[in-house]
Amino acid sequence: MIRYLVSRLAGMIVVMFIVATLVFLITRLAPGDPAAVMLGEQASAADIAKLRASYGLDRPLPVQFGYWLQQLVHGNLGQSIFLQRPVTQALAERTEPTFFLTLFSLGIAMLIGVPCGIAAAVWRGRAIDQVFSGFAMLGASIPSFWLGLLLMELFAVALGWFPVAGYGEPGVALSVRLHHLVLPAIVLGVVNSALILRFTRASMLDVLGEDHIRTARAKGMSETRVVMLHALRNALIPVTTVVGLTFALLIGGAIVTETVFGLPGVGNLVVSAVLRRDYPVIQGALLVIAALYVLINLAIDLLYLVIDPRVKY
Amino acid sequence: MNHILTRVRGVMPARAARTLAVALSCAALALLAALPARVTAAPPKGGVANIAMIGEPQTLDPMASTADLVGTIMQHVYELLYTYDANSNVVPMLAETLPAVSKDGLVYSIPLRHGVKFHNGKEMTSDDVLASLDRWMKMAPRGKAVAKEVKSVEAKGPYTVVITLNRPYAPLVAHLALSNGFAAIMAKESIAEPLTQFIGTGPYMFKERKPDQYVQLVRFDGYSARKEPASGYGGRREALLDELRFIPVPNANTRVEGMLAGQYQFADVLPVEAYSRLASAPNVKPVLTAPFGFPYLVLNTKQGPLTNVTLRQSVEAALNNADMMAAAFGDPKFYDTDANHYAKNTPFYSTAGTENYGKGDAKKAAALASSAKYDGTPIKVLTSQQYDFHYRMALVMAENLKAAGYKVDMQVVDWSTLIQRRNDPALWDIYITHSAVLPEPTLTPPQLGDGAPGWWSSPAKDAALSAFNAESDPKQRAALWGKVQSVVFTEVPYIRVGDFNNLTARSSKLEGYVAMPWPFFWNTGLSK
Repeated sequence: MIRYLVSRLAGMIVVMFIVATLVFLITRLAPGDPAAVMLGEQASAADIAKLRASYGLDRPLPVQFGYWLQQLVHGNLGQSIFLQRPVTQALAERTEPTFFLTLFSLGIAMLIGVPCGIAAAVWRGRAIDQVFSGFAMLGASIPSFWLGLLLMELFAVALGWFPVAGYGEPGVALSVRLHHLVLPAIVLGVVNSALILRFTRASMLDVLGEDHIRTARAKGMSETRVVMLHALRNALIPVTTVVGLTFALLIGGAIVTETVFGLPGVGNLVVSAVLRRDYPVIQGALLVIAALYVLINLAIDLLYLVIDPRVKY
Repeated sequence: MNHILTRVRGVMPARAARTLAVALSCAALALLAALPARVTAAPPKGGVANIAMIGEPQTLDPMASTADLVGTIMQHVYELLYTYDANSNVVPMLAETLPAVSKDGLVYSIPLRHGVKFHNGKEMTSDDVLASLDRWMKMAPRGKAVAKEVKSVEAKGPYTVVITLNRPYAPLVAHLALSNGFAAIMAKESIAEPLTQFIGTGPYMFKERKPDQYVQLVRFDGYSARKEPASGYGGRREALLDELRFIPVPNANTRVEGMLAGQYQFADVLPVEAYSRLASAPNVKPVLTAPFGFPYLVLNTKQGPLTNVTLRQSVEAALNNADMMAAAFGDPKFYDTDANHYAKNTPFYSTAGTENYGKGDAKKAAALASSAKYDGTPIKVLTSQQYDFHYRMALVMAENLKAAGYKVDMQVVDWSTLIQRRNDPALWDIYITHSAVLPEPTLTPPQLGDGAPGWWSSPAKDAALSAFNAESDPKQRAALWGKVQSVVFTEVPYIRVGDFNNLTARSSKLEGYVAMPWPFFWNTGLSK
């Protein structure tokens, strides 16, 4: 177990180095220039060159890369060109909305996906299965921006139950800020529930066909006990994987939903940084997201130990 | 009045519509004068306005960027020596009066107002003005252009600043009055690189910026207002609202929904498709700023096939500007296709050269291309989908050029890439951009200056612009601008496609709002 953990963490360092190199190269090789964006339409080429030099963007790429790596080793992700603050601070400021949005939307997705998936598997081929499978297809197909605008129109504009966008006014309480997350969480929850529902259904169908389920039923065990105790626990490993991956994707920022709802989350930060060519933010944010992705995957693997005692590392 | 003007455009010629609008304006003014005082009373004081902007400002340093977002927000914090009234005339703001200009046009003596307080409580003096203008001329793109013409800036006592020029340069005051990349007057002690304190004299003070959430401004109780009645950006300013929050809302549909839901009191740059929804909502008033801006095509005069002036004239003839504007903006109430660069009711109206305004004459264009021995080299058109109307115009332009026998290489990139690539003359022949309509011709587009992408340089340009810039008499300048416009139509360094209007919306409770290209919220209040 310890050896497994050490090897996974060592592998993570290699992965992070590869990610850092790729992220650096992709951002720098893409055309565009933060200085030109910052200075506006009237700026001369000389002004742009001067600003580039002030941020060290005129140095050779290997020199810039070496400097960035050196900073990374010291835990410094650099300084945002546009925000005039450290990237770590910019990321920290965006963590709250993204974290709560992830929790809420994952909760909604699981509340919809898991029970519906179980029901669809238990009543396979019946009307309920058709309805839930249809819902899953619909949820996977609906563009999140469209669903977002639809919910906005209904619940914010027509009914006035929720704010349209943003993350609350200056100094408001956490509960008010969380109120702003309800609509985007429903959007993400519905969209992501589709995958969880399909995985739960497929996994349950596999397990429900196995010998130990037939044995349990033959022993006269109630159907609820068979499904919820014996089948569900065995079906949870693939479901846990897909829930974990969804969590990792969401924590990296739900780019479209955050943009539509004007949420100042990590996804919004990354999109803005890409449009402005704010290299330190793009690099820092992607590196942190990649690290979280790797760590969450490791956590999922460790969770298997709890779910299924047969799993050994 | 803009509503009336734009609504009638659909059913009668623009000239008749404007005449009607002027007549209605006079009637409306007469009616207002006759109304009881309580009807025209000033909007109430207090309240907070949430203002939905198109994005996060690039910086809060008003000198560092010419982006509209920066100027729009920071014009509430910083003021200029001069500004523009509702009729695009330069009027004094922090200066006491218009400058006294020496007979040879070289010395501008600017008297400053007494008792104007900065947000830190200190009184503004010539020391602050000198330090601010010095910074502006060293770092601001517009200031650097002016610096070439300036010999010295000196103080004559605490309330007078004297600017001495190398040669007569009439646009000086216009530059000092423009709130875009602007000559903001800052408290001397707050000036730093980069700027970390935003201490100006404006009716609102900077309080807090949370990137991608808001820029928060609060009323400055010590504001020193002018006595003259408000007109455009000029005259008396009063901070009626307690607080202004400029909120970045990049998604245009979200700005519309936020207005309809009452979350925002004002929303900038809305999609024209939303007009009917906004107009039919009881709590919202759509506002058209007309004209707001103009899309223009820059032609590469430095490298590639379009260095040949006859080919540029051929391109000009090939384009159907009316079709391009229709594709870009849809309903005619959102655009105008007047060939002249300035509207008829403005000081620089001229029809010189407008016979060359593109009407999609493929035969003429092909004949010109043939006489210029066009060899079939593809015309590289650089455009971006980040501004949807640029892209839609590019599609029409490509078809117009193909109809005239050109090969077209469309290069669709994101805006950041475009503004980088346009600095390399090898990468493009035409690129599409747009500008706000500004009251002084030499302020925009930058191709009228030196060194801007397109790199237009010619004896005719130099002669026309030198004469225009040296003349300080407004009547003479209007005539001289006609000559510059004529050279633009003949040498085709850029093609001004038309004018477009900006759709914004305000809450019906937001009173006192006056539509100007860069929206401002002093003299604006919220009714209960």
